[in-house]
Formats: sequence, structure tokens, C-alpha cells
Amino acid sequence: MSELWEVLTEHLPEFTSGFWVTVRLVAISFAIAIAVGTLIAGLRVQPIRWLRWVGGVYVEIFRNIPLLVLLVISFLGLRRAGVPISPWVAGTGSLGLYTAAYVAEALRSGVFAVGKGQIEASLSLGFTYPQTLRRIVLPQAFRTVIPALGSLVIAMIKNSAIVGVSVVALSDLLKQARIVQSQTFQADETFFWAAVGYLILTGSATLAFRYLERRFAIRR
Amino acid sequence: MDKRGRSRWLALMVLVLGALTLAACGDDDDDGTDTAQQGQAQQFPAGSTMAEIQDRGELIIGVKFDVPPFGFKNPQTGDVEGFDVDLGKAIADELGVEARTIEAISDNRIPFLQDGTVDLILSTMTITEERDLEIDFSEPYFIARGRVLVPKDSDIGGTEDLGAGDRVCTALGSTYAETLKEQAPEAELRLVDDYSACLELLQTDAVDAVSTDDVILTGMIIQDDSLHMVGKPFTVEPYGVGIPEGDKQMKAFVDEVLATYKEDGRWDAAYQKWVGQYTGVEQGPPTMTLQEAIELAPLE
Repeated sequence: MSELWEVLTEHLPEFTSGFWVTVRLVAISFAIAIAVGTLIAGLRVQPIRWLRWVGGVYVEIFRNIPLLVLLVISFLGLRRAGVPISPWVAGTGSLGLYTAAYVAEALRSGVFAVGKGQIEASLSLGFTYPQTLRRIVLPQAFRTVIPALGSLVIAMIKNSAIVGVSVVALSDLLKQARIVQSQTFQADETFFWAAVGYLILTGSATLAFRYLERRFAIRR
Repeated sequence: MDKRGRSRWLALMVLVLGALTLAACGDDDDDGTDTAQQGQAQQFPAGSTMAEIQDRGELIIGVKFDVPPFGFKNPQTGDVEGFDVDLGKAIADELGVEARTIEAISDNRIPFLQDGTVDLILSTMTITEERDLEIDFSEPYFIARGRVLVPKDSDIGGTEDLGAGDRVCTALGSTYAETLKEQAPEAELRLVDDYSACLELLQTDAVDAVSTDDVILTGMIIQDDSLHMVGKPFTVEPYGVGIPEGDKQMKAFVDEVLATYKEDGRWDAAYQKWVGQYTGVEQGPPTMTLQEAIELAPLE
């Protein structure tokens, strides 16, 4: 048991620095995912067909490419093509754009849950379609899909570990745990604490979303 | 359950069993080992690791798959070959079995040895006291030196030039992760899984330098001659074969094979074939002992 504690106490700086890098990575990626996901969901429900097509193409691409492949393409691929993309931009961009596809799909189902009657009423009152989306439909759509968004955030926290392990080489929680492991050779203890770190993050996210659900969710 | 429900359940079970069968099939290793050779090889005491390996019919060695010229996959043939692999095959020949190679990166090679995934490690592994606590080593079989690799047009001339803002790449779990912190404390260390990733990062200008053993760097120069090595050698890295902790019989056996390998000219031939023809540097088999090697890299 003392070995378990020793690994933590002797390497606390590494674990905590990794923890905060993961938090930062997830926060920035989440912001990107919500922003881009909302945009794409908006495109997917437009009456203009080619706008819907653009949104559909985005979702298909980012849902079907594995995150690790996306990271290699965005970091190594772009750099070889001459674009000096930094590890942070490649990491948060990949994780954010990847999750955005799932956010878009979740929101789209939320949009359909909003009654058609409301859209018709809004249009007949003189709102344009984009205005209708922004002021009436999307706020309600978000509130309907809070549980789904919560699952996506938890998935993103777990996916952030893939970013650290990839060639992008950000020093996140998992990377720091692997560094500690390579110095102490105590894999079981080291990865136990890494798992605890991730549990703290996913647990906090779950609690946060449960609160949001109670406060804001519309059940249909 | 009604008829429809039952047939759906049956279909689901078939699917699950099919998936499990596919997964199990994927793990079957080919038993293409030469049992005919066993008649000519030495006999070993029953219960010794060597006898177990002979019964199994193959020696499993952990080698690098991406570090020419020591352990790498030949792009044309797909075979894993190199200086480390040749030494591993020599040990396997003495046992009268085939050698099977498994990829062992700096990060997982010691765990692989400890849990039995591999019998020996031949993976450009430097002998250090810290590692000696976890596993046993053979006598040194190669001496490499630490240097720095940069593009030819770089201003960096050695570890002394690596300052704040310079990004240096090396492998997770290698001795350089620690050594570079001392040699270039202000430089930003980028640790990756393996050296091929370091090469990619250097070629795409995502890092400014790569630092590790000169022979590994030579392998990178062979692949990309726009790079060159700079600076004085700043470490001495004696390579040792990784042996499970406490297995004295295995260590004695490996040391014996290694001593013969050095004396009868096979070491020189392997050196010339894999390293000498590229570096143009003459080197003989190392005379350093294991104890001396450990003293070079003591625990802090």
C-alpha cells in the first residue's frame, strides 16, 4: 500500500501538471466542438439543399475518421504540406472538430424535437430562417439534448488521452503517467493514479451535467 | 419468448460467438519452427530457461522495429533485421531454435521481459544501475555515444547550444530523457513513443534537434541525408542484452555465446555490415565489463 502512495507523493508535480494540461485540452476542444457543432447542425436543417449537403459531408467525414488518424493528418500531414501548425492547435483542433460532428448530430435531433408549428409561426411573424434558428429553435434544442451533450463531454475527456499518446506529444495526464512509469517501472501504481485523475474529470463533468439537466432540460 | 424473439436471440448469440471465434483465430502463432535442429544443439539442465525455450521451439526476442541499423523492418522484404537481430539469431542458433522478433519500444521492453512476453531484450538498451535493479544484463555487446542530430542548415552545434525555446526530441523511457535534462536544462524536451516519430518531427520542423545514440542517429541519416550529427559525444552508452531478473543460468549462457561471438569474428562482420560501412568508423568488440558499465550510470 505504501508503494501506491509513494508513487503519487514522489511524482505529484508530474501528475498535477498532466492533469491541468488535460483540463485545458478538454476545455478548448469543448468550446470548438460546441461552436462548430452548432454551426453544422444549423446547416443540416436549412431549407437550402446544398447547405444541408455541406453539413452532411462534414458529419460523415469527421465521424468516420478515427481520431488518431485525424491527429496524424492534421499535425504531420499539414506540416509536411508546409503549414506550421503547432501541437496545441493540432490537438485541440482535431479533438474539437471530431467531437463537433457528434454534437451536430445530437443537436439536429434536438431541433426536430421542437415543434414544426413553432418554426412556421416564427416565419409567419417575419423572422428569417437563420433568426428563427438562433432565437427560437436552437435554445430549445440545446435544452433537449443536455444528457446527450454530457455523454459527449465524457467521451471527449477519454479521447483526450489519445491526443497525448499521439505524435502531437502534448504532456497530458496519460503522457505524464507514462513518463513516471518509465522512471519507476511501477506500471500498476502509476496508471492507477492516472485512472483516478480521469475519474475526477469525468465525475465532475457528470455532476455538472446533472445539475444542468435539472435546471434547464426540457423533457418531451 | 415467442418464436420471433427466440430466433433473434439465436441470431445475436451466433454473432457474438462468431466475433469471439474471429478474435481467437487472430492470435494463433505459426508453428513453423525447426524441430530437426534440436538434435544438434546443446543439452541444458531440465527446468532451466534454456531447456524451456528448446521445448517451445523458438526464442522470442524484443527488438526495435524502427531503429536502423540495429533493429528495423526491411521495407522490401518485410523482415526484421539489424545488428541486434543478428546477435539474437546467434543466441537462438546455440539453442537450436528459431528466433522470433517482437517489437519492443523503449517504453515497454522491460515490462515485456518481466511478464514473459519476450525471453530476451536486444533493443539498443543501455546498461544502467536503475535498470539493473529490475532486470539482469549480459556483458556489454556494443558501445554507443550520445550525440545531437540537426538539419544541415541549423545553428545548433551541440548540447551546449540547446537553450530555451529549442525543442529536442527523444524516446520515452530512454536514458536521454534524463540526460538531456542535465545537459540542456533550458531546452524543451519532446518525448515520443519511438525514434521514427522523432525523425518525422525533425523533418517537419516540429522539433529543432533529436538526441540519442550515435548509431541510432546514423540510421536516421541513412534515411535522410539532409541531417547531420553535431557536438562532442556527451554520453557513453554500453548496450546489454536484457535478461529476466535473477536468471543466472540464462545470463551465463548468453555471456558465453556473446564471448564466442566477439572472439570468432562474427561481431566484426556484423559491425562492418550494419554500422561500419555507413559511418566509416572502425570499432572493435567492447572490452568493458558489466560492472564497469553499471558504474558509468549509477543511481542518483
